Amino acid sequence: MTKIWQIIKHEYRRHVFQKKFILSLLSLPIGVGAMAIVAVLIAILSTNSSPVGVVDQANFLQEFPQEKQDGTIFEPAIDFLSYQDADQAQTALDGGDIQAYYVIPETYPDSLEIELVYDEKPDSGVQNQFTQLLKLNLDLTKNLDANIRHRLQSGSNITITSLDGSREMNEDEWYLVFTPFVAGTMFVIVVMTSGGYLLQAVVQEKENRTMEIVITSVSPSQLMTGKIIGNIAVGLTQLIIWLIFSWIALKVGGLIWPVLQDFSLPADYILVLLLVLLPAFVMVAAIMASIGASMTEAQEAQQVSGLFSLPIMIPYYLSSVIMTNPNGTLAVVLSYIPLTAPITILMRMAFTVVPVWQIVINIAILVIFAALAIWVAGRTFRMGMLRYGKRISLKEIIGNRVEL
Amino acid sequence: MSIIDASNISKRFGDIQAVDHLSFDVQPGEIFGLLGPNGAGKTTTIRMILDIFKPDSGDINVLDGSMTEEKKNKIGYLPEERGLYQDIPLDRCLTFLATLKGMDESAAKPVLEGYMKQFELFENRHQKVKELSKGMQQKAQLITTLVHDPALVIIDEPFTSLDPVNTEMVKDLLEKKRDEGKAIIMSTHQMNQVEELCDRILLIDHGKQVLYGTLRDIQNSFSSRDLMVTPLDELPISINGVKEIRQMNGRFRLILKEDAQPNVILKNLINQGVELTEFEIAVPPLNEIFIQVVKEQEEGTHD
Repeated sequence: MTKIWQIIKHEYRRHVFQKKFILSLLSLPIGVGAMAIVAVLIAILSTNSSPVGVVDQANFLQEFPQEKQDGTIFEPAIDFLSYQDADQAQTALDGGDIQAYYVIPETYPDSLEIELVYDEKPDSGVQNQFTQLLKLNLDLTKNLDANIRHRLQSGSNITITSLDGSREMNEDEWYLVFTPFVAGTMFVIVVMTSGGYLLQAVVQEKENRTMEIVITSVSPSQLMTGKIIGNIAVGLTQLIIWLIFSWIALKVGGLIWPVLQDFSLPADYILVLLLVLLPAFVMVAAIMASIGASMTEAQEAQQVSGLFSLPIMIPYYLSSVIMTNPNGTLAVVLSYIPLTAPITILMRMAFTVVPVWQIVINIAILVIFAALAIWVAGRTFRMGMLRYGKRISLKEIIGNRVEL
Repeated sequence: MSIIDASNISKRFGDIQAVDHLSFDVQPGEIFGLLGPNGAGKTTTIRMILDIFKPDSGDINVLDGSMTEEKKNKIGYLPEERGLYQDIPLDRCLTFLATLKGMDESAAKPVLEGYMKQFELFENRHQKVKELSKGMQQKAQLITTLVHDPALVIIDEPFTSLDPVNTEMVKDLLEKKRDEGKAIIMSTHQMNQVEELCDRILLIDHGKQVLYGTLRDIQNSFSSRDLMVTPLDELPISINGVKEIRQMNGRFRLILKEDAQPNVILKNLINQGVELTEFEIAVPPLNEIFIQVVKEQEEGTHD
């Protein structure tokens, strides 16, 4: 057991305390952070928050909001200034005091037409806020209870409930749609990273000729277990650090963009996420290890592993089909094929209610294939360990004949 | 109790009989030479001892029984195909390999430091292994083989890449280990090292035993009835009992007549007033025995 621990430690230290790893670890959050900062800067620079004039010839606007609304960076609160006539407003526009002005003609109650005069088209936020102002002044709403008026102003929030009542979704839960994509992408990146490291790790002893020294010190299964756990730990380290960054980003982003504050995942979704992704992770890692063990050079192994990473991404290419028909035959079949299963099931769960038995079968398939992949990895490793410069054929791995 | 007891072991790879009914034993406190031409089956024999391969037939007992995971901690192995982890500092590489032999990091540290100082690697301990010279890496591999004080040491070509000073140091170290009662199996093509170090040898060819026994017995069995002498001045043109005199590098090889005895020749030389600085029975160098035996084997297999 201590020997396995030593191998885990060795594998972990080999990667985690390397400049290359730390750089790749930080490059994603730094890249995303930089993009976010640029987006905010562009928003701040391009958003015009100067007041907008209103020439109310119809005498329609009796009421202006008592308190100024809270704005956001992307949609700053706009002050509406009242002008006597269009000429005055035009002067103010020419003088740069306002960015545009609305003219509500006398005929407005009948024609429902309003004129907007501008040099440069105002942002959609201006239009939204003006619409709110109009709603506030509709005759219809004037005598209503304040709460009802508020509801009318804030508009609808539709909650969709599934027929069996097990599932609800409303606009505030927009992130549920993104979760499978974000979780899936993170999964793919983490799996590819650990898998890639594992690939190198398994070839390593053959490349540097330490194989015989190592296998006369530990058993091949100890070596393999240590390597798989060690490199999975590297991937998990990466994942955890990214999750911490994401959490910080949500908290910081929430200050700027309040919608982000609503973000929370249902517990059952997180549970399935873990139950699906963990065996999937082990399975892919073990497949990588098998490839590494059957090859003699890291570079060669890297190329072959590319073939196995493609199927993992297939659900993304078919995402429109899965989204429109998440319980269709294709989606169901994909969630039973080991390599496509993890991302497919997460996508389906985001868009529909997946029957529990299907989730159970999905997880069971992943667990069985993970175990199978480990077995193959161990076998391949045993066969390939002393074969410097000679690949192992698939026939040998499956069959009993070992050619040394 | 034998450290290794191999009886009748055989191993076949496809059409090649790598090891063919080989029996031998290795005792504690001896340096055992495992010799043979390239492809004779030495590495396969070593790998069977270490349980990397299982013999097709026959039994090997290592450290009193069959090979187990625990026994791996009592064996130090320097394989022919050898290397070190290249991308990490030397001390970390050595510590890792020592812990794989069941040592605690804390226990390994002082031992490793001692060896690194002895092998003049202490200054280089923080350098990455790939930055070290071939000779330094070879010394580091020897440290890995010996750090856990194994009861059985198996070393394949331990002196390649070593300069004469380090070669001498490693030889002293191996002799010290032998005197401590460890069993050492050495496989090498450097016959002079075998002559200097080995107590017993096993010479194999085509997987079969060719010679097996103490170095002295084997050399004696190959010794001719020749004498090597070095006179202070000149040798007489003829000596009683000597058929022929050949000069070799300032020494003389005396080929005796059928019934002549070495001590009678010595007496004759002294009686003839010759002063000698050297007088010995010509023992053929192991190198010659090796070549002779292997050639005979080759001819035997071609017949």
